[in-house]
Amino acid sequence: MKFTLNWLKEFVDFAGSAEELSKLLTMAGLEVESLASVAEPEGGGQDWLFEIGVTPNRGDCLGLLGIAKEVCALTGAKLRFPAVQASKKDPAIGKRIAIKIEDLDQCARYSARIVDNLTIGPAPAWMRFRLESCGIRAINNIVDATNYVMLETGQPLHAFDLAKLSAKQINVRSAGATGQFTTLDGVERELVHEDLLICDGTTPVALAGVMGGLNSEVSATTQSILLESANFAPATIRRTAKRLALHSEASHRFERGVDPEGTFRALDRAVQLIVDSAGGQASSGSADCYPKKIAAIKITLRQARIAKLLGIAIELKRAETLLRSLGLKTTRQAKQLNVVVPTSRPDLTREIDLIEELARLHGYDNIPTTLPLLRPTGGAMDYRLASERKLRNFFTGAGLVEAINLPFIAEALNELFTGLWQGEPGAVPLVNPLAKEFGAMRRSLLPGLVDNLRVNLAQRTASFHAYHLGKVFRRGADGGTEERLCVGAIMHGPPALHGLRGADQAPLDFLQCKGVVEGLLELFGVQNLVSWRPLASAVLHPGRSAELTLDGAPLGLLGQLHPDVAERLEVPQVYVFELDFEKVHQYAPRRMTMRPLGKFPAIERDFAIVVERDFAARRIIDWIDGLADPLIEFVRVFDQYIGAPIPEGKKSLAYKISYRAEDRTLTDGEVNPLHQSVIDRIGNDFGAQRRS
Amino acid sequence: MTDSLEALRGEVLERIQQANSVKELEQLRVEALGRSGSLTLLLRGLKDLPAEERPRMGERLNQLRRELELELDGHLATVNQEAKAKALAEEKIDITLPGTRFERGHSHPLTLVIDEIVEIFSTMGFEIARGPDIEDDDHNFEALNIPKDHPARDMQDTFFVAGGNLLRTHTSPVQIRTMESRKPPLQVIVPGAVYRHDDDATHSPMFHQVEGFMVDSNIAFSDLKGVLTHVLRQIFHRDAGVRFRPSFFPFTEPSAEIDIQCVICGGGGTLRNGQVCRVCKASGWLEILGAGMIDPAVFKFVGYDPEEFTGFAFGMGVERIAMLKYGIDDIRLFFQNDLRFLRQFN
Ligand SMILES: [Zn+2]
Repeated sequence: MKFTLNWLKEFVDFAGSAEELSKLLTMAGLEVESLASVAEPEGGGQDWLFEIGVTPNRGDCLGLLGIAKEVCALTGAKLRFPAVQASKKDPAIGKRIAIKIEDLDQCARYSARIVDNLTIGPAPAWMRFRLESCGIRAINNIVDATNYVMLETGQPLHAFDLAKLSAKQINVRSAGATGQFTTLDGVERELVHEDLLICDGTTPVALAGVMGGLNSEVSATTQSILLESANFAPATIRRTAKRLALHSEASHRFERGVDPEGTFRALDRAVQLIVDSAGGQASSGSADCYPKKIAAIKITLRQARIAKLLGIAIELKRAETLLRSLGLKTTRQAKQLNVVVPTSRPDLTREIDLIEELARLHGYDNIPTTLPLLRPTGGAMDYRLASERKLRNFFTGAGLVEAINLPFIAEALNELFTGLWQGEPGAVPLVNPLAKEFGAMRRSLLPGLVDNLRVNLAQRTASFHAYHLGKVFRRGADGGTEERLCVGAIMHGPPALHGLRGADQAPLDFLQCKGVVEGLLELFGVQNLVSWRPLASAVLHPGRSAELTLDGAPLGLLGQLHPDVAERLEVPQVYVFELDFEKVHQYAPRRMTMRPLGKFPAIERDFAIVVERDFAARRIIDWIDGLADPLIEFVRVFDQYIGAPIPEGKKSLAYKISYRAEDRTLTDGEVNPLHQSVIDRIGNDFGAQRRS
Repeated sequence: MTDSLEALRGEVLERIQQANSVKELEQLRVEALGRSGSLTLLLRGLKDLPAEERPRMGERLNQLRRELELELDGHLATVNQEAKAKALAEEKIDITLPGTRFERGHSHPLTLVIDEIVEIFSTMGFEIARGPDIEDDDHNFEALNIPKDHPARDMQDTFFVAGGNLLRTHTSPVQIRTMESRKPPLQVIVPGAVYRHDDDATHSPMFHQVEGFMVDSNIAFSDLKGVLTHVLRQIFHRDAGVRFRPSFFPFTEPSAEIDIQCVICGGGGTLRNGQVCRVCKASGWLEILGAGMIDPAVFKFVGYDPEEFTGFAFGMGVERIAMLKYGIDDIRLFFQNDLRFLRQFN
């Protein structure tokens, strides 16, 4: 809502500066969004243009009158309204125009006057200046006067060319099966049954409260007008304006509520301004269809409730003064006020609304600052938050930066990167995406990370290691949506190293990527619950990818991006992984207990075997673990060798077994035969040849 | 014999003084004190002396032996120390060369800000709640007193997903979900991503909020002022002015916008160089929080008696706070994930 200071001063005196008014209004909830000096035309003086962000509850402040009332309430000044000649109800006008409202829920009131013998021309310069300062284009002395009065009173008005209303019978009704209607901007609009129309007899002449019709528009040859000042239902107007994307000054006001008692104040003021600039004669009488007067709302305001909600006691006497300054009527009764709210303030319907007005007028600054009783939450420690922090610290130490990506993704990428939920059911498309390439919610965090890599490669970075802790989305089996917190990572290039030039770093490989995942699983104490399997996936290198399962259910995947996919996405060789973080968190033990430290020394023995190239090293470890021999503390693989003298198609694997007893120092005499028997049995069971 | 003894003493002591290596000193020890050393030879000559002189002479020889050994050991220690010092001096390195290390990772600046806010509330006993990003109309709008066909919906342009649900436009639905499942007293904060259907230099279709609320039998607007003033001063590490001014949110009443004194110009509206502060548009104030007393209509929706319980709720934009704290001037930087950006935050 825009207005100028001089214009406002026609309604209320204000002695202070524009800045002072700006502060006063802002601190009362009418936020001044901009304030600029403007020069009036034709040798006028200086003026100030205010722009106010009017919140949706304050439709009354979409007119100068409402703002002037606020100034009165805040300063104690008196409101005044330009003197106008009030019209009277006149049955004679019924011979020239009849008014009928079909549905009172859609239109509570329809008032109108007629002006004849008009001379259409430009509006006076001062009026055009104010309109255009406030962002409304000047058109002619009729339309401009209706807009001018709308800015003054908040009541939208509409002028019909009376000659174009052949039936002389205004009928306010729902569109029903009308079909199309051409608004005065020349656009043919598709109507739905619920749209509200102003009809002349059966012919639609305006889209009620939104825009007039082309067929009844005031033109240069117009001689007589019918001036409409009506009150339409907010929700109806909003639905139509929104559906047609036809947001007008009128619809903006009707959506927020207009005072049904204000139709004549605006009508009479507009008629006067029209006659002043376009000549002609106004009908002395007016037509008014207002069958069911809207009653003022009565509210009880309890003194105790004020203190309970605001934390400050406001005496009833003071409360009365404040509310009366807004034009509310009050009577005191014991410890409460009985309040009557005028129809100009439809936002005040409950006790709490009045308490807000009291707080506002008393001044938020004058309400004390206190601290409530703060209670310890008493609930359990937030493990989920702790887990997230643990994860982030881990990645920081491991050299990965945290990325945050938007969840929107192209559907094609969603089909490629299906994420942790393999196959069905499917992605969650957006109904109104910003662009087609952001048409769905992501199923995987990886495409976003690949995008980030591309951004960084453009900056010639040698390596990019990043992770994203974020949600993925899919349609559930029941048709609803599921979301899950996952962690995805991308690793390109060797880890960035600071310092002097050392030996050339080896290129990043699968095992380095796996090492990060292992470290993560170990951090959460789930490493022994996870099994690793080769994975067949369209997005990963068939020979360098793995699937992880936890407790039999999918946990995640890792590997090198498939060369075809990398080519398609225009990125070089890169490793990725994605894990279901909720599952990691769910299985992570809540408690840690110390294992006793061995008191007696361990004896370590190594052995190496030659096996087929595709033999999984892990099989030997699983087999030895399966022995559950109390003297075997652990076994691990520590080397793999391929090449001469190992025969073609084979490889050598080296393992280390640690033997330890809890109650004594082991001797070679005890360990040697045990170790030998383990090796012999491995030779038998796996056909593995021992390598000396 | 006394003469040769004195001569030997003088010679050996002089040679010890002149020696400057371990090797020289050890050789000297052999020559003087060894099995066929000079002193040993003198000892052997004792037998040629008259019997009554032997004890005295023997005693003098032993004395000399001890003296020389002591002298040798002492000098050996000195020489050793010098040698070590020299070796250490040779091992000296240029300590201004860069240390060797792998590049550390970094948390995202939004994570850092959320963590800080969560920490501040945690110390006051607030707990964390979370909720789905894909919400239904009831929780995102209806329960929060934002009916269909109400202009308040314009405040939040919405993304819809297939099936009729939507991407939450604020974290407030978690307020509803929490109250639906629990009874007061409650003091809860909700960090999370939210979505609005606009995209320009100052808006991102996704951004982050920290929502919070407190419900008990005796919570007043003055408490809202107290808690949020404390929190803002913690976040911005200064005794900045804080002001509360009336505003409108459908789910709170009375509602407030909370401003802090501009962190760029200090609240004066102009910069040191005399230029107008663009961050606060010369007003000296920055809008940082929306808050208010929870509307009775919200309490009714979740089945609380508004006569019994009162409470406040608030929401703040994480990106905005991060931009002000770190001097970031473009919201899109948060989601490009450029290493040059991410590595600046720790
Ligand atoms: Zn500033």
